Amino acid sequence: MTLTGLIGQVCMLPLRAIIAACVALRIHPNILTFVGVLINVAAAVALGQALFITAGFIMIVANIFDFIDGKVARELHAETKFGGFWDSVIDRFSDIALFLGLIYLYSTRGRTDYVMVTAIAMMFAIMTSYTRARAESLIAKCKVGFMERPERIVLFMIGAFTNRMAAVMWVIGVLSVFTVADRIIYTYRELRDAGPEPVA
Amino acid sequence: MKTVTLPARILWSAFFWTYERATWQYDVMVVAILAFVWLTPPDWLGDPMASGNGPVGWVMAMLNAG
Repeated sequence: MTLTGLIGQVCMLPLRAIIAACVALRIHPNILTFVGVLINVAAAVALGQALFITAGFIMIVANIFDFIDGKVARELHAETKFGGFWDSVIDRFSDIALFLGLIYLYSTRGRTDYVMVTAIAMMFAIMTSYTRARAESLIAKCKVGFMERPERIVLFMIGAFTNRMAAVMWVIGVLSVFTVADRIIYTYRELRDAGPEPVA
Repeated sequence: MKTVTLPARILWSAFFWTYERATWQYDVMVVAILAFVWLTPPDWLGDPMASGNGPVGWVMAMLNAG
């Protein structure tokens, strides 16, 4: 058992109870997804007001919704293609909202340098999702690179609770650049190894 | 056959990340990231919301006092 595996299992204990409650109440997973983004917007507002601890707690609640929607869908046998699409789209809004909260905060402090660092981190966070989605329309799987959404969310919370958001933006930015590069390299290799494309 | 040194291989593995979550490689990466986030003095990064030298500064202050 690894350290992160153990932390994951401990966090799953309360989440199982929440998932069971949502299943018992037959809450539609698409509604859970939408509630998640609304709560993330509230977290973004708190970040924009420099209320980092408050934002951290709101992010925990928001990401419970983000995390359980897929699992509730499976339990309710309500998995649909639209549900997957809806989840992906709404997740991007949640991502962007949090970055925008920070961009607003740094701009009100006159810190153009960190506005740029956060904007670049946001750009590559979105490109991380886009490169995978686009790659998987060409190849079977493109799950390489470290900085995916769960890592970003946990880092946002760590940054908020410990007031180390600047360091977190650097980590998200740099590792998202690597992740996008990994996905481009991986897709290039996979397509090259698959041989020449048939001429239309 | 091209020979690759161990440090180069480690660096390439960290850059071209193919490990799953909950592996020891993932744990090492998480520890490295947390060390950077928590140990780097906010002043070094010009953090707009935090100041001081953080844990590194405390250690330096203790060493200077001692």
